[in-house]
Amino acid sequence: MNIAEELERSVELGQFLASRPVARARLGATSHRVIHRQGSSALRYFPPARGATVRQPLFISTPLINGWAILDLLPGRSLVGALSAVGVPVYLLDWGVPGASDRGLSLGALIDQRLPRALSRATRHARAEGHLEADGLPAALGYCVGGTFLAMSLARHPGLVDRMALLATPIDFSEGGLLNTWADPERFPVDALIDDLGAFPKELMREAFAWLRPMAQLSKWRSLHARIHEHRFAETWAALERWSTEGVDFPGEAYRAYVHGCYFDNALMGDSWMLDGRPLQLKAATIPARVFAATGDHICPPAAANGLLAAWGGPVEAELLQGGHVSVCLSAALPARLLSWIDA
Amino acid sequence: MSQPDAPFPDFKGLSDDLYQQWERSMATWWDQVLESPALLDATNKSVSGMAHARARYEAQVDEQLLKLHLPTRADITRLGRIAGLLEKRLLEIEDVVLDIKDSLANRDAALARVERETIQARIEAAETRLELRARLDALQAQLQPQLQPQLQPQLPVQPASASDGPSQPLLQAAAPAPPEPGPARPSSRSGKPHPKTS
Repeated sequence: MNIAEELERSVELGQFLASRPVARARLGATSHRVIHRQGSSALRYFPPARGATVRQPLFISTPLINGWAILDLLPGRSLVGALSAVGVPVYLLDWGVPGASDRGLSLGALIDQRLPRALSRATRHARAEGHLEADGLPAALGYCVGGTFLAMSLARHPGLVDRMALLATPIDFSEGGLLNTWADPERFPVDALIDDLGAFPKELMREAFAWLRPMAQLSKWRSLHARIHEHRFAETWAALERWSTEGVDFPGEAYRAYVHGCYFDNALMGDSWMLDGRPLQLKAATIPARVFAATGDHICPPAAANGLLAAWGGPVEAELLQGGHVSVCLSAALPARLLSWIDA
Repeated sequence: MSQPDAPFPDFKGLSDDLYQQWERSMATWWDQVLESPALLDATNKSVSGMAHARARYEAQVDEQLLKLHLPTRADITRLGRIAGLLEKRLLEIEDVVLDIKDSLANRDAALARVERETIQARIEAAETRLELRARLDALQAQLQPQLQPQLQPQLPVQPASASDGPSQPLLQAAAPAPPEPGPARPSSRSGKPHPKTS
């Protein structure tokens, strides 16, 4: 063991942390503009790079519980940046930060109004920009809970996209690992929490995810110490820290319906979910779908994501990628796999 | 692990191995702890208690603000909801306007297509007429020298203006009857679109 080297790394780590890298991290730097807003949500348009052959536009539904910037973390570590660079016009639905007035927002309002409206605005914009023919439709990608919402929405609103891909998206919640154990209807007091707080607070959400793998908290500091010389690694580490601390309060009524439907009843795997008085059946969908699951995903294990194979009405293909729930978004393989799916 | 041939033990490798073993065993232990019903019950109870306390605190704050005639959190939330409902209504109106705009654009496109087809039909009809006229003229030119000597002895002497009379039935028999060019002109006058004639 080279003690001098260890000491040098420790000093460098101290200097790095003293420079407040997390607060200084700038996320979401890829050039884009907001083309539609509703409440706290915004539809962000990332135009295709000049000179690139324009491909089919892609609509992305991001998770409601975290910021959208995980898909545009840093230059060179950005899924939307990689896709727009090769000619894919990207329309990203950012759910924003719901406030106190959004506490009564229902799950039905999210999947029946906000999401379909954002999708139709994206399609209209893509047609106006010449990215689509007059009757052309975009493709859609959902990540994590954003994917769950996307699948629910497209099952109820056919004809908005011509295919769907889900990335690390839980569908079969009975395979959800530790999160499913915690969300036991006998123990998890979701109704009392929502009645008292009006929303599921981001602090609780962040703690819950951190406690899913307590040892990972230690490992992340250890790996930062070991690789502090690598500027790129340290920069990505700080950006990820920034992203993970910027959580979002889940609107209360939507969270209540989500936990009851998805966790307590695992209703996406059945055909008896009545949401806002209307049936919600993934079997009703007919468009083709693709599942991208990550091998090391402890939040959405591959078995939970692959539930779509049994639940979806249209043809489904499944693909396994290397990485964890978050790191899969940053992997270099993902843009290439998505591109081949878009071009297929 | 440390390499047996090295002059000094590999303490770095040893510590890494020990750390990894410790990490694995701790992860297994944590998994057991985090799944234990006793811990879950206790955690849920404490979280519920905390949430209830926060709710009571907020209610107390609201009550005090109310006494001071200041807007409470509930008032601001209510205003936010009203603004949200107004925005929703506006977006619904915008949806309808965009749908109308789309249907108008589609109608304009359909009208333009019909108009284009009408003009095309008229052009084709005119071309057909011109073609038939040309064929007629060609046949007339061909037949004229042959018929002239045969007809001349049989025909009574008539004024020059009537000499073309008998040749017309012969020409009509030789040439196919021109098809009707289509109702382009009359229907276009009426302003109604009509189908393509070709």
